[in-house]
Amino acid sequence: MKIALDILQVLMLILGAPLVGAIIARLKARLQRRRGASIWRPYAELFKLLRKEELVPPTASAVFRLAPIVLFGATVCAAGFVPVVHASALLGSRGDFFLLVYMLALGRFFLSLGALDGGSAFGGMGASREALVSSLAEAPFLLGLVSIAVLAARADIAGMVAWTLGQDVFNISAVHILAFTSLAMVALAETGRMPVDNPTTHLELTMIHEGMVLEYSGPSLALIEWASAIKLHAMLALLIALFFPWGMASSGSGWGLTVALLLYCAKTALLMVLLSVIESAVAKLRMYLVPDFLGVASALSALAVIFTIWVKR
Amino acid sequence: MGLVGIATEKILSSFSVFLFLTILLLAVARRISTSVLLFGLQSAIIAAEVFATAFQEKLPEAYIVGALVFAIKVVAIPRAFFLLVKRLKTVRDVKASTTPTQSVFIAAAIIYLSYAAVHSYGGAVHVPDDPLAAAIALILTGAFLMVSRKKALMQMLGLLVLENGIFLAALITTFGMPLVIEIGIFFDILMGLLLMGIFTFRISDTFEHLDVSKLRKLRG
Repeated sequence: MKIALDILQVLMLILGAPLVGAIIARLKARLQRRRGASIWRPYAELFKLLRKEELVPPTASAVFRLAPIVLFGATVCAAGFVPVVHASALLGSRGDFFLLVYMLALGRFFLSLGALDGGSAFGGMGASREALVSSLAEAPFLLGLVSIAVLAARADIAGMVAWTLGQDVFNISAVHILAFTSLAMVALAETGRMPVDNPTTHLELTMIHEGMVLEYSGPSLALIEWASAIKLHAMLALLIALFFPWGMASSGSGWGLTVALLLYCAKTALLMVLLSVIESAVAKLRMYLVPDFLGVASALSALAVIFTIWVKR
Repeated sequence: MGLVGIATEKILSSFSVFLFLTILLLAVARRISTSVLLFGLQSAIIAAEVFATAFQEKLPEAYIVGALVFAIKVVAIPRAFFLLVKRLKTVRDVKASTTPTQSVFIAAAIIYLSYAAVHSYGGAVHVPDDPLAAAIALILTGAFLMVSRKKALMQMLGLLVLENGIFLAALITTFGMPLVIEIGIFFDILMGLLLMGIFTFRISDTFEHLDVSKLRKLRG
């Protein structure tokens, strides 16, 4: 029963991912008084790309073909650590939050390699920028998770969520607020959203993620797009699970699970609205200001770790 | 008691955390208007704490002080600042002499320092740790803003942040000063703001900028 639920959770994260990205795009369109595309379009696009022929640049080596597969595998693996409707996850007891962070890092590393291997100038530019952003985002990501782990005295994500569930709803501490702020900033940078990278266009010279995938086509492109959608969904689910898990089912009863699922949808909807408002209101940062943005996130997360000393258990 | 009582308790126990957040954001704010908004937010948090104290300690006078804080620091002063920014037609940048990353680390160090300073009192005084540390951090941040921002407007704002800290410290340790003194202080702030506003106008008239670091030579 528990295993079935865990598998269902991961499937939800993977299969629901294109929908999340599409709903955000739709909300953004509505905010800008456009009608926007159907929210089912990404699924149609994935099917279309999966059926198409794959074109590989003549200079590319095997790394180019391998990169999307590794990226997809690593991202799915990272999604397996995130609890959604109850406080456990498929890979919950197999590894701690370090593994989650570095699974995502592994995916990014291979995507950058693939972009460099493709041989286009834009790919190389995107890869070097991606390397800069991800190396700067790694410290606040880890430190933010460390501060929660210290409070919970657990290293696995599911255990941290279970600890938070046992706390009083109103009992917010400085650590939680600081860690949430820094992790939200990291989530924006990690998933290539607005103040750091523009997800909607590849017509800008400042692009990061879109620059890297320019050479890809067919099934490989489908895997990459799907992986980045899963990453966005998993990051949102991670924020919800760590900071607002209340309402998650404690037992395996059908009623509790239904409530947990509905609450999860409501919380995700709230985050999506927030994200689309931010993306419509904020201008993209200049590339040289991105280190400042992530420096602020680092300072916040370092402060969160320091504050764990003062918070009484 | 009921819901209002719970809300009061929560405001007193956890609102200081949001003060720390405004401190950190003030350290990174690039535009004068953003800083003014943050100052308004900070004052609103402090007004909420005044109302909560008034409810918990049953001090009718404190409601008046709270209303005054709201009227002056949340409404009047930010509006005056926006008017100044508009009338002076100055550049929006705050002209910080430290990079945002340095500023935020300095702000973090200030918060840590104030916690360390408050912590050494331990249980000697019956004052909660978090709000007192927030008050000290506000005082230090105000001073830091005045030192590190080159715009005359930002120096005024630094002074106001510093004053917010002193006010909060008085509120936490003694449940606020007597009403007459409180009103006197508010009058002082308004007068000070008026004078500083006139001075910034004079500076921008004479030198055609507001950069304090360039005020080296006398001009008739």
